[in-house]
Amino acid sequence: MASKFGLAGGIPERRVRPIWDAIDSRQFKNALKLLTSLLSKYPKSPYALALKALIHERMGKPDEALAVCLDAKDLLYKDDSSLMDDLTLSTLQIVFQRLDHLDLATSCYAHACGRFPNNLELMMGLFNCYVREYSFVKQQQTAIKMYKLAGEERFLLWAVCSIQLQVLCDKSGEKLLLLAEGLLKKHIASHSMHEPEALMVYISLLEQQSKYNDALEVLSGNLGSLLVIEVDKLRIQGRLLARARDYSAAVDVYKKVLELSPDDWECFLQYLGCLFEDDSMWKFFDDIDQIHPTKHIECKFSHLTEEMFDSRISSASELVQKLQRDTENSNLRGPHLAEIEIEKRKFLFGKKNDRELLKSLLQYFLKFGHLACYASDVEAFLQVLPPHKKAEFVGMLVKNSDSVSASATIELGQTTTILKVQELTGNIFELPLGEIEASAVKLAKLYCQNLPLSKDLDPQESMFGEELLSLISNMLVQLFWRTRHFGYLAEAIMVLELGLTIRGHVWQYKILLLHIYSYIGALPLAFERYKALDVKNILTETVSHHILHQMLESPMWVDLSNLLQDYLKFMDDHLKESADLTFLAYRHRNYSKVIEFVLFKERLQQSNQYEAARVEASLLQLKQNADSIEEEERVLENLKSGVQFVDLSKEMGSRTLRFNEDMQTRPWWTPCPEKNYLLGSFEEFSYCPKENVNKDREENVRRAIQRKSLVPRMIYLSIQCSATALKESVETNGSGGDVKTCGELKSLLEEYTKMLGSSFSDAVGMITEISQGARTSESLGSDLVDWLNFAVFWNAWSLSSQEHWHVLNLLFERLILDRIKSMGSSDMSSCYSDVQVLVQIITEPLGWHCLVIQACTRSSLPTGKKKKKAQHSDHLPSSPMTQAVKDSIHSLCSTVQEVSTWLTNQINNPEDAQVEKFLSTLKRNEDAGGPGHVLWVLESFIASSEESEVGSRIFEALKTWSKADSTRKTVTAQQKLLREFLQICESKRELLEKLKQQMTHV
Amino acid sequence: MVCIRRATVDDLLAMQACNLMCLPENYQMKYYLYHILSWPQLLYVAEDYNGRIVGYVLAKMDEESNECHGHITSLAVLRTHRKLGLATKLMTAAQAAMDQVYEAEYVSLHVRRSNRAAFHLYNETLGYEIHDVEAKYYADGEDAYDMRKYFKGKQNHQHSSHGGHHHHHHGGGCCSGDAVVVETAQAEDAKATTSK
Repeated sequence: MASKFGLAGGIPERRVRPIWDAIDSRQFKNALKLLTSLLSKYPKSPYALALKALIHERMGKPDEALAVCLDAKDLLYKDDSSLMDDLTLSTLQIVFQRLDHLDLATSCYAHACGRFPNNLELMMGLFNCYVREYSFVKQQQTAIKMYKLAGEERFLLWAVCSIQLQVLCDKSGEKLLLLAEGLLKKHIASHSMHEPEALMVYISLLEQQSKYNDALEVLSGNLGSLLVIEVDKLRIQGRLLARARDYSAAVDVYKKVLELSPDDWECFLQYLGCLFEDDSMWKFFDDIDQIHPTKHIECKFSHLTEEMFDSRISSASELVQKLQRDTENSNLRGPHLAEIEIEKRKFLFGKKNDRELLKSLLQYFLKFGHLACYASDVEAFLQVLPPHKKAEFVGMLVKNSDSVSASATIELGQTTTILKVQELTGNIFELPLGEIEASAVKLAKLYCQNLPLSKDLDPQESMFGEELLSLISNMLVQLFWRTRHFGYLAEAIMVLELGLTIRGHVWQYKILLLHIYSYIGALPLAFERYKALDVKNILTETVSHHILHQMLESPMWVDLSNLLQDYLKFMDDHLKESADLTFLAYRHRNYSKVIEFVLFKERLQQSNQYEAARVEASLLQLKQNADSIEEEERVLENLKSGVQFVDLSKEMGSRTLRFNEDMQTRPWWTPCPEKNYLLGSFEEFSYCPKENVNKDREENVRRAIQRKSLVPRMIYLSIQCSATALKESVETNGSGGDVKTCGELKSLLEEYTKMLGSSFSDAVGMITEISQGARTSESLGSDLVDWLNFAVFWNAWSLSSQEHWHVLNLLFERLILDRIKSMGSSDMSSCYSDVQVLVQIITEPLGWHCLVIQACTRSSLPTGKKKKKAQHSDHLPSSPMTQAVKDSIHSLCSTVQEVSTWLTNQINNPEDAQVEKFLSTLKRNEDAGGPGHVLWVLESFIASSEESEVGSRIFEALKTWSKADSTRKTVTAQQKLLREFLQICESKRELLEKLKQQMTHV
Repeated sequence: MVCIRRATVDDLLAMQACNLMCLPENYQMKYYLYHILSWPQLLYVAEDYNGRIVGYVLAKMDEESNECHGHITSLAVLRTHRKLGLATKLMTAAQAAMDQVYEAEYVSLHVRRSNRAAFHLYNETLGYEIHDVEAKYYADGEDAYDMRKYFKGKQNHQHSSHGGHHHHHHGGGCCSGDAVVVETAQAEDAKATTSK
C-alpha cells in the first residue's frame, strides 16, 4: 500500500496542503497554479490529477473535470505500481459525485478493493459508495467481507441493516431476515453484543418476523441490560407482549410504565388496547403517512361480553384514579384526559353515558379550559358525539365559564377556548347571523380590554388574546360567505392587519390574510404575507401549499418561478446529498436511524407536490416562451421533447404518492388547495372536520399530474404536425402531418381524455356541443382548462378539418366572452375566480393554439425570398386550410381584445375611487347589523388608548396602523395583478397581429 | 413524562413546522439530520395527546473536548403549549440520556443575556450555573451566557466556576418553568453542519 505517514497519495503532505487551503478558501486560480507545479513533479500521480479535477469542477468546468478524472482513473487501472490509497480515491469520489457519476467512483473503489483485498479502509470507502447508490445488496456483501476480515460487531450490523433495507425498500423476500438473524445469533454466541443500538436492531429483526416471544426472551436476558433507561425497556416489552397477544402480561407492564410516567398518553392507549384485547390500535401507531397522525382511533368491542367490558373498564378507572391522586399537585393533563377516554369508550360500547362523557369534558374544562391546548386536546372526544350533543356541550361551557369569576387571564383563556370548540365542532356555522356578529363584537372588546396585560411582554412572546383576532376574522369571513357582503371580508383584513402591526410574528394572521388576499385577487400582497412566513428548507415541502396553487393560476410568473425553483432546489439537493448523511448514521452506529433515514428519503421522493412541481416548472417555461415558436422549440429541446414527462405520466398510475403537506394550518374555508367553500354557496355546505383531507385528494392529484405531464409532449407533436400540414394540404389535400407523429398525438389524446374521465369520441362530442351552445361550459366542471387543452391538441391532430378549427374558435370565444359578460363591471374582489380562469385559458390552451398557428404560418412562408414570389404566393390563398388559419387568427384576435378591454377598464378605474369604494363597505350602520361594528370597536379603542396603559410598543403600533393604508395596499396589489395579466394579453394580441400580417403575404 | 419521546426522522416534518409557529430558527435541514443521525438518543419531542409535535429539544455530544460533555443546541415549545412544564421535561429527558447513555460529565448551553425567562428556567428550575460569558456571541451582537450543569457524582470542581454542590432532581415532579426558546449562535451551527 502506498499510503505512508506524511505521504498523501504518495506526495508529501506539505506540498498538498497549500492546494487544499486554496480550494477551501475558493482561490481556485491560485490552487490551479500550485497544482500545475505539483503536476510537473508528479505527472503520473492520480492524486494530483484528482485534485486538478476537483479544482476544475469547483471552477464550473464539468467537462474538463470529467476528462481529468477519467485520466486519473485510467492511471489507477493501468499502472500496477500506482498509488491507490483512500485519499486519492475519496478525492476522485467527491468529483465524480458532483458530476453525477457515482458509478465511476464506485468502480474505482471496487477496482482498488480487488487489488488490495484485505484493506479495511478501502472497503469502507466501497461500502460508502454503495450507500450513496442505495445498492443494498452490494452494501451487504461488502459489509460481510469486512466483518469476516475484522470480526467487528459494527460491520455485522451494517450488513444486517443492509438486509433490512432490501426487505423494506426492494421488497426482497423475508427469508433474508432469517439469514440476518442467523448471523447475529452466531455472533452473539461467540462475542455477545455490546451496543444498545445493535440490540434494537436484533429485536426489530425478530419483530419483523413476528417472533415476539424470541424478542421478549432476548430483552429479558443478559442483553437487556444494554438498555439503561428503564421506561424505554418496559415500553418495548409491553409492545412485544401485546403483539404476541399476551394481553394480561402486557397490561401489567403498561401499568408499570404509567406509574413511572403517568403522562404517557401513547402508553395509556396501548394499555387500554391490551385491556380490551383490541389490536386495531396498531394500525394507528403504524400509520406514519401523515404529518399529524389521525386523531380518531377505532375501537373494537365485538368480542367482549358486557360483563367483561364492565369489569375491565372499572379496572382502568381504578388505575386512572390512582394516577390522578399520585399527580394531584402537578399540572399533568394525561390522567384527566384518560378519564374522558374511559367515558368515550363506554359511550362507543353503547353505554348511553353521554351525560358522564360531557361531565368529564366539562371537568377537564374547569381544570384546563384556560389553556390554549384545551380545544385540540378534546377534539377527538367531541368527534364521537352527535351534533346536538356537541351543541349542548358548548352551552354547558358557556354557562360554566360565566359562573367562574376568575382572573382576567383565565377568563380570557376560557372564552377563547369556547370559541375554538365552537369552531371545531362546526357549531359556529349553525348560529344565526346576528349572534355571530354580536359575538365578534364581544371578542373585539375583550381583545382591547386585555391588551394592557401584554404591556411588558417581549416582542417575541405571544400576547394575551392573540388568538381572538384569528377567531374574529374567521367569523367575519363566514358572515361574508353567508351574506356576500364584501364589507365583512374587508373588515377581516383590517382586523388581521391591525393584529400584525401589533405583533409581527403571528403566523396565523399571515396565513389567514394570505388566503383572503388570494380570494380577492390581491395576490401580490398574499405572496408578500407568504414570504413573511419565512418558509424554507423542509417547510417548502410542508407549507408552500398555502400559496402554490394560487400562484400557478396567476400571471405572476417571476414570483412563481422563484417559488418553484426554491422548492425544487431544496428537494433535489436533499435527495442528492442525503446518502452522505446516511453514512453518518452507520459510522455513529445508529443503525435504526439508517433505516428510518432511507425511508424518509423515499417519503420525500414520493411527494405528490414534488412530482407536480417538476411538471409545473416545465409548463411555466413553456407558457413564458409561447409567443415565440423558436424560443419554445429551444425549451422543448431542453425538455427532451417532453418524452420523460410522458414516461412519468405512464408510471404515475402505479406510483406511491405521499402527502407531506401540513393541511391543519389552513383556514376553515379552504381545507385543501383544491377546495374553497367561498366559491360555493353556504346552503350547499356541510361541515366536516379538516383531518384526512389528503386521503380524498390522492386520486385527483394523481390524475392531474398524469394529465399535465402529457402536455409538453403534445405541444411538441402539435408543432410537428402543423409544420407540414399546410404544405401538404395544398399539395396533396391529405390530412396533414406525418403519420407517425399524428399517431402518437392521437394516442396521447386518448390517454388525456381518459384522465378527464371520458373517451376520445365523447370528449369530441362534448366540446363540439359546448361550442354550439348545446351545452353550457359548466358541464366541464373544474377541469375546464384541461378540456380546452384537449380541444387545441385535437385540432392540431386534424388540421385539415375546417370544422375542427371552427369548433375551437367558437369554444375560445364562448368560454372567454361568457366570463367577461358575467364579470361585467363588477370589481376584482368579487370576480377574481373568473379572472383566474381567464389567465389560464389565455396562457395555456390559447397560448398552445397560437403555437400551432405560428407553426402553420412558418411553414407556409417560403424560406428564401425568391421562392416566396415564385411558387407559393399565388398558390396558398386558395387552400381551405389557409383560410381556416386566417379565420382563427382573426377570431382569437378579437377575443383577446375583449379581455384586454375589460382589463383596461378595470385598470383605468382611478385608485382613489377604488380605495373610497373599499372603505365605504366598512361604514357601519349604527342602528342595524352589518359590517363595520368590529372595526369600530377597535378604532374607538385605538383613539382612546394611552401609552401608560398598553405600554409604548403596543401604543406605537396602534398609532401607526391605518385603515386607509391597508386598503390602498390591497387595491394596489389587485391593480398590479391586472397589469401583469394585461401585459400577457397584449403580447398575445401583438403576436396575432403579426401573424395576421404574415398571412396576408401568402 | 408523556408525550416526551425520542424523535424519529419522520418527526422532522412536524418539528420544523414547530419553528414556523414558534420562533424562526435558521437551521438547515442538514443540521437537524446531523443531530438525529449522530446522537439520536438526545433528541426528544413533546407529542400532544392527539399526536401533534408541540416541542422538541435538539442536543449533541461534544466529541472534540477532553471532558465528555453534552450540549443543548435548541429547545422549542409551541406558543399554544407553553406553561405546561414541557420545556423542563424535554430538558430533563435529554440530560438523562447524556448522563446515562453517553456518560457525560456535564451539559452546557448558551443563552442570550437578555433572555430573563430562559435564564430563569435554566438556572432556577434546571440548576445550570454560569460558566462564562461569551461576548458578542449572537449575530446581532448580543452576549451569551455559557451555562453548565454537572451531573450528579461527576462534579468537576476545577471547571465549575462556582464549585458549589447542586442537587437537581430529574423526572418526577413537573416544574412550571417557562418554556422559552434558546437560540444558539448561527456561527457555531454553521461549523457543525459542515464538519463531516
